[in-house]
Amino acid sequence: MSVDLRPEHPADLDGVPHTGEAVLPDGHLVEPQAEDFRHAKAAPQDLHWYKRAVFYEVLVRAFRDHDGNGTGDLRGLTSKLDYLEWLGVDCLWLPPFYASPLRDGGYDISDFRAVLPEFGTVEDFVALLDEAHRRGIRVITDLVMNHTSDQHPWFLESRRDPDGPYGDFYVWSEKDTGYADARIIFVDTEASNWTYDPVRGQFYWHRFFSHQPDLNFENSEVGEAMIDVLRFWLDLGIDGFRLDAVPYLFEEEGTNCENLPRTHEFLKRCRKVVDDEYPDRVLLAEANQWPADVVEYFGDPATGGDEAHMAFHFPLMPRIFMAVRRESRFPISEILAQTPPIPSGAQWGIFLRNHDELTLEMVTDEERDYMYAEYASDPRMKANIGIRRRLAPLLDNDRNQQELFTALLLSLPGSPVLYYGDEIGMGDNIWLGDRDSVRTPMQWTPDRNAGFSSCDPGRIYLPVIMDPVYGYQAINVEAQSNSSQSLLNWTRRMIHVRHEHPAFGLGDFTELGSSNPSVLAYRRHHASAGDGTSPVEDLVICVNNLSRFPQPVELDLSEHEGGVPVELTGGVHFPPIGELPYLLTLPGHGFYWFQITRPDSEREV
Amino acid sequence: MGEADLLAGIADALRTILPEQRWFAGKGLPVLGVTPVRAIVLGGTDPQLVDAIVQVDQGERHDRYQLMLGVRSELPEALGHAWVAGIADRAVYQAEHDPELTAQLLALMNQNAQIDGLRFATEPGVTLDTEQRSRPIGVEQSNTSLVYGQTYILKLYRKLEAGLSPDLELHRALAAVGCKHIAAPLGNIEGELDGEPITYGMLTEFLRGTADGWAMATASVRDLLADDLLVDGATGSTRHPHPGDVGGDFASEAHRLGHAVATVHADLATALGSSPAPEGYPDEVAGRMHRKLDTVLAEVPELAAHESTLRASYDAVRGLAGPVPVQRVHGDLHLGQALRSVTGWILIDFEGEPMAPLAERVAPSSPLRDVAGMLRSFDYAANHMPLGDADPQQRATAAVEWATRNQEAFCDGYAQVAPDPREQAVLLRAFELEKAVYEVGYEHNNRPLWIQIPLAAIARLTDRPAP
Repeated sequence: MSVDLRPEHPADLDGVPHTGEAVLPDGHLVEPQAEDFRHAKAAPQDLHWYKRAVFYEVLVRAFRDHDGNGTGDLRGLTSKLDYLEWLGVDCLWLPPFYASPLRDGGYDISDFRAVLPEFGTVEDFVALLDEAHRRGIRVITDLVMNHTSDQHPWFLESRRDPDGPYGDFYVWSEKDTGYADARIIFVDTEASNWTYDPVRGQFYWHRFFSHQPDLNFENSEVGEAMIDVLRFWLDLGIDGFRLDAVPYLFEEEGTNCENLPRTHEFLKRCRKVVDDEYPDRVLLAEANQWPADVVEYFGDPATGGDEAHMAFHFPLMPRIFMAVRRESRFPISEILAQTPPIPSGAQWGIFLRNHDELTLEMVTDEERDYMYAEYASDPRMKANIGIRRRLAPLLDNDRNQQELFTALLLSLPGSPVLYYGDEIGMGDNIWLGDRDSVRTPMQWTPDRNAGFSSCDPGRIYLPVIMDPVYGYQAINVEAQSNSSQSLLNWTRRMIHVRHEHPAFGLGDFTELGSSNPSVLAYRRHHASAGDGTSPVEDLVICVNNLSRFPQPVELDLSEHEGGVPVELTGGVHFPPIGELPYLLTLPGHGFYWFQITRPDSEREV
Repeated sequence: MGEADLLAGIADALRTILPEQRWFAGKGLPVLGVTPVRAIVLGGTDPQLVDAIVQVDQGERHDRYQLMLGVRSELPEALGHAWVAGIADRAVYQAEHDPELTAQLLALMNQNAQIDGLRFATEPGVTLDTEQRSRPIGVEQSNTSLVYGQTYILKLYRKLEAGLSPDLELHRALAAVGCKHIAAPLGNIEGELDGEPITYGMLTEFLRGTADGWAMATASVRDLLADDLLVDGATGSTRHPHPGDVGGDFASEAHRLGHAVATVHADLATALGSSPAPEGYPDEVAGRMHRKLDTVLAEVPELAAHESTLRASYDAVRGLAGPVPVQRVHGDLHLGQALRSVTGWILIDFEGEPMAPLAERVAPSSPLRDVAGMLRSFDYAANHMPLGDADPQQRATAAVEWATRNQEAFCDGYAQVAPDPREQAVLLRAFELEKAVYEVGYEHNNRPLWIQIPLAAIARLTDRPAP
């Protein structure tokens, strides 16, 4: 049974600025403008911040309830920024907080320029930006450009008045037979990509749910309107967007309507607006495709990339789980070997868990076949990847494995995205149904409602986790802050180590093979121009034991002969590298991060 | 100092040093004499690189070995371990440890150099990067391999045999048809000795980051045996989980490996032909199996209990209906000869059966011999674990389940490319038994504790209903 968060009616925006408060004589709706609000002070300028950043995905609803109504809100999140700064987070990723009927977790947006009232107001969001920027933390959010909610005033106008200014904002047709080669993505709930609208008497096109009509990007006004939405939030001070469902913007008869050239053209337009008007803000593309296809969304490598700055690397996550389960590095080695180089200004986003776990159905056919072949006879594995679980229960609450997975996340190529609560090893509540099981309130203290809200426990949007192992009385920020050996403090130390080494965010990645299939070793290397004050070169070797048993490994480090490996968490000097293979032994699920220091700098120590 | 003097001067030292080398074939027999055959200066003056051949007399054995020697007026301390002998104020040492000298071998190949009957060459279209420094990797029995940087691997043949090496021959043939499951051949050292062709060395690409199939398969077995035992609710008895239900399952890799082996067989057939075996082939195969069995029976009394069933399985081969296709094969295929790279499986070491004479190693054979070799290797991987177990019977059951699952997956993968080997059950079983009998003899002489592995396999294989 899932808890229904859906209000009977679209968000009530009475009393706050919203789209369609007034109508101009030509029929255009009046929309809120950025000038109507205070703007946040920008974060310090830093062009490539997203390459070094540690991201933290946080659900506004789940983090902290400020007004005591049982639902987390923007002010609550703002009040917890000190914690996030302490943890070492560089950028928050907030899933949509726009006005929405919440039939698709807020991805069904009914007003791009208003905040969902239960989360607060646009002013609250600007205050969050200000406080975050003051701490050096940036904030990005999701933006769905492909479609709107069927409650969006644009759609209400479009169906009511085909000849009005919004008549051509959506993809309307007399027939339901067009674009027959486009697959149906939500095959469980949708029979067709076309749905009949009795008001207008025509069919409208939708790649996702039938209550989410696709915008018609063939109409240049739609593109302009969407770019104005970008400008609205960028003017307020937001640091970027995760662009949802980007492969589907344009349609073309005779194609599968994905990844079309005109879709890329539009992304280039968006990027140009960012580059020209808002340098150092980022676009992160959500393109759930094979890496070789996703790199197209970074744009032209000759320019360093002229579409999205970042994109998620989807196939890596399930393969990390598979590699540890198989005690074999090859699932990871293979996918990284198949990942093409990306433009100089681009960066992957990588993650272990997020709010909306990808299922095997959402990766490409090629990858799905591979994964099914691997999982076919392993029911536990199949279920674990398909079902939405949190990291700690997925790993049987095994501290060693949680540390190994986090170390991989923080050291593989790309910017890591942590999911709120995983830093303390929070559990999930599978009785809530798979959508909500990983969206329970953040566990701050052992007090009532886990310190999330002062409300009556019956009012809380989802019950806090209460089981003896993962319940808030055992697992909470307060208790773990006070223990130097807690997962929280360990995670914080690792994030800080990552920050000290540009090789993790900016460096090249080279896998160091060995004859031991259970050990995954790689080199991260970054050479900067060097201005006399900062180090010129950063060289880090990461060695990971994917097996539960102790393992030896011999690494060919001969090109670093004479270098001294210094372990990064403790600073212990290991024996210098000689001509022969470098022998290491690792405990089960153990890992090492070493900086390789040159012999001359070694003497200075 | 002439080359002949050099060899004469170190012959005594070699009597001690040669038997200590891993690649020395005549272990266990006293060395009665070391005779210089020839020495060729490949280049340099100090240090100087010399390719030498000596004959080692061990009574019944007279083997010829290739040596790479370095000569220096002063031997650096780092090369002290390679020292062979001092003659005329100069140190003679094993040159494979000296990257300064081994680099010359790549340069000679690039130049297609010919020196006193030694021919260095690159494969067509190849130019080598001679800046790569080498280091020896010492794991092989019959040769020495030098890895240059992370780029090339040079296999120097030690015990020399007349005739073109099947390893070089098959690598070339497979490369010519674009086989994806081998390391590309890049260069070679060949020549003549006593009027017969000899292969001295083969250079191929070095596949960095590979792990061999044995290491991967045994990691899977380790995972299976360490998993929690399952308890039967009704009887309270326990058992290991099924290998398909644990995380370390190897079946998908075994499937890919079967596919790769069948692809290599198909490529070999394309390159070098495949034909129905001559009429007497089944008799010849059965006869060979019987003869080998005779030898092992004479040494290993435990095998006697299986003699009649073994002979019956061999005799069944004589009655095979229909033609048996034969072609060039790998000849010594097992999990250790398969390397997993990030793109898939690579087969190495196409030398053929060790110890067998060259004519036998290059003779066309049923590819089922390779399949049988791999099936036996899965059985070994399943049973090799030196871990204790509370209940050896449970352990044996789990091992059989693991081996069966992966043998079936291997055959499934093979059958995607070529006819299903299980459809030729009589011949396949005979090849498996032939291999197991060889293993019984080998374990009897070398690892008596392991003899139960092939003996148990023989019992299982001959216990199955006749195919």
